[in-house]
Amino acid sequence: MEMLMHEIMMAFALGLLGAVVFSAIGLVSGTDETATLAPLTMLVVLLGAPPAGVLTFFLAGAVAKHMTHAVPTALLGIPGDTVATALLGDANYLRKLGVPHIALRKMITGGAVAALIAVPLSVLFAVLLAPFGGVIKQFAPWVFLCAALAIAYFSAGRWASVLTLVPFVVVIVALQALTGHYGVKLSVSYFLGIAVAPLIASLFSLLAPGEREQMRRNEYRVFSLAPDVKGWSGYFPNPFKVINRRQVKVTAMAASVSSATFVFSPVAMTVIMGEVIGARIKQAYDRLTTVITARNGVTESTYIAETLIPLMAFGLPLSPVAAGPAAPLFNAPPRFWVDNASGQVNNLHNLLSTWDFLGYGMLAVIVAILVAYPFTMNFAHGAAAFVVRKISHEAVIATFIGLVLVIGIWEGGLLGLLVIVTVGLLGGFVARFLGFNTGVQFMGYYTAVLSVPAIIALAG
Amino acid sequence: MHQPLSPPKKQNLYEVWGDTIDGRDLMLSIGIGAVVSLGAYFGAHYLLQPIVESAQMAKTYAMLVGVLGCLGAGVISAKLFPPKRDVQEHAADPAFREQVVADLLKEYGSLGRLEDLSDEVIAELRELELYDLFREAQAREEQAHLNGGRP
Repeated sequence: MEMLMHEIMMAFALGLLGAVVFSAIGLVSGTDETATLAPLTMLVVLLGAPPAGVLTFFLAGAVAKHMTHAVPTALLGIPGDTVATALLGDANYLRKLGVPHIALRKMITGGAVAALIAVPLSVLFAVLLAPFGGVIKQFAPWVFLCAALAIAYFSAGRWASVLTLVPFVVVIVALQALTGHYGVKLSVSYFLGIAVAPLIASLFSLLAPGEREQMRRNEYRVFSLAPDVKGWSGYFPNPFKVINRRQVKVTAMAASVSSATFVFSPVAMTVIMGEVIGARIKQAYDRLTTVITARNGVTESTYIAETLIPLMAFGLPLSPVAAGPAAPLFNAPPRFWVDNASGQVNNLHNLLSTWDFLGYGMLAVIVAILVAYPFTMNFAHGAAAFVVRKISHEAVIATFIGLVLVIGIWEGGLLGLLVIVTVGLLGGFVARFLGFNTGVQFMGYYTAVLSVPAIIALAG
Repeated sequence: MHQPLSPPKKQNLYEVWGDTIDGRDLMLSIGIGAVVSLGAYFGAHYLLQPIVESAQMAKTYAMLVGVLGCLGAGVISAKLFPPKRDVQEHAADPAFREQVVADLLKEYGSLGRLEDLSDEVIAELRELELYDLFREAQAREEQAHLNGGRP
C-alpha cells in the first residue's frame, strides 16, 4: 500500500513537472513537439524515474503544450508548434473579426474535453488490438515498411515522398554503418536531427549568397497583438459555458474517431477532421468556432491515442507520434529497448498494466488541465506580450543550437553531432522542396532500423 | 495611430525559421548557445565523474546540466538581443471585419443562415457584437442570389 502511494505521488510530481515545463514551452512559437518532448522525456527515463512517472511526465507535457500553444496561435497569428499550423487559418479569421479571445478559449476547452475522452478510448482500442500484438510483433519489420509507405503517400509529397523514402533510408543506413564502425550506436540524435531540420536548413541557406538575398528583409516583422478581454469572474472558468452543447458533442466525436485512426499524422488528422465537421455547418461564425474547438481537440486526442495504443498493444512505436516525440517511451537504451531480431521489447509496454495506463493516463491529463487551462484563460495576453516583446528569435535559436550540441555530443560525441547536422540538412530540404515531412522522416528512420535488416535477410 | 517601428539602418535583417533576425546578433547568440551549453555539459561531467558511482549516470546528470545550460544561453541571448519585431496592439478595425466576412464568403461559398443557429450561438454573436455584421452580410448575399449573381 505504501509502495503504491509512493508510486502515485512520484507520478503526480513528474506529471506536474511536465505540465509546468511544457505549458511554458508551448507559449514560444516554433518549439516543435519532437525537439522538446523527446529529449526531455529521454532525460527523465535515463535519470531513473519510475515507469508511471515517465508516462505522466510525457502525457501531461504533451497535453499542456497543446493547450498553451493556442496563445501565440490565437493572439499573434503565429503557430505555437507543428500541429498548431493546422489551426492557424480559423484562428486568423477569428482574430481579424476582433474576437481572438473566443478562438483561444474555444481551443483550450476543446483540448481539455478531447484529452479527457481520449485516454479511456485509447485504452479500450489498445485492449481490442492487443490480441493481434503477437502477430504484429512477429511481422514488425514488414508492418513498419507498409506504414512508412502509407504515411509517405498521404504526405504532401505523395509519390515523390514514397520514392524519396529510398535515398533517405539509404542515408540513415549508411550513417549507422559509419557510426557502428567506431562502436557508436545512436537514436535520439536522429530524432533531434529530423525535428530541427527546418532550422538547420535555414541556417545553411543563410550562408549561401543567393539564398541570403532571398531571405533579406528591410523592416521588422509586424505582429498585431490582440487586446485583452476577460469575460468571466473567478480563476477557473466553466468549460461548458465556453463551448456550447453541439461543440462538446462534435469535439467528443472528433476525438473518438481520431483516437481510432492512430497511424495517421496528427497534423493530417487535424486538417481532415476539421474539413469533415466544417462541411456540415453552414453558418460561417458557427462553423469557424466549432471547427477550431474540434481541431484543437484532435491535436490532443491524436497525441494521446498515438502514444497509448501502440505502447499498450504492441510495445512498438507504430505511429507518427510514437515514432517521434514519444520515442523515448519505447526506446531509450540502456533502460528501454526494442530488439528487432527477436521481436522482444522491454519498455512501458511490459512495465505497466492496463489499469496502470488508464489510471496514470487520466492522472496526467487531469494534472495538465489543472495547470494549463486556468493559466491560459487568465494570463494568455500577458504571456503572449512577454514572449513577443522580450524573447527574441535569436534567443530561441541559441537554445536549440545548444540542445543540438549537448544531445549530439552526449549521445555520440562528434559523430552524434555530425549525424544531427547531416540528417537535419537533408530532412529540411526534402521537406521544403518535396513535402517529405517530419512524420515520413521518422518512419524512414524506423524502416532503416527495423525493415532493412529483414529485407537484407530475405534477399540472402 | 501607432507609428510603425523602423529598424536602424545598420541592421542586417533576415527571415530565418519563420521570424526576423539580425545577422550579427544571430551569429553571436549561436556562439553563446554553443559555449554556455557545452560549457555546462563538460563542466558538470568533469565535476560529477569522481562523485557519481556509475559513469553512465554521471553522463546523464551532465546532460541535465547541459540542457539547463541551453536554457541559460537562451536567457542570456534574450537579455542581450532585443526582438526584431514591431508589436502593434489595437482592436480590429470595423472595415477589416467587412473584409473578413467577404473572405469567408469566398472560401465557403455561402455564409449560411443565422436562422439555422441555436439560441446559444445567437446569444454569443450578440454578446460579441457580431450579429449585425453577419445579418447584413447574409442579406447582401441573399440579394445577390435573387439577382441571379448580377450585382
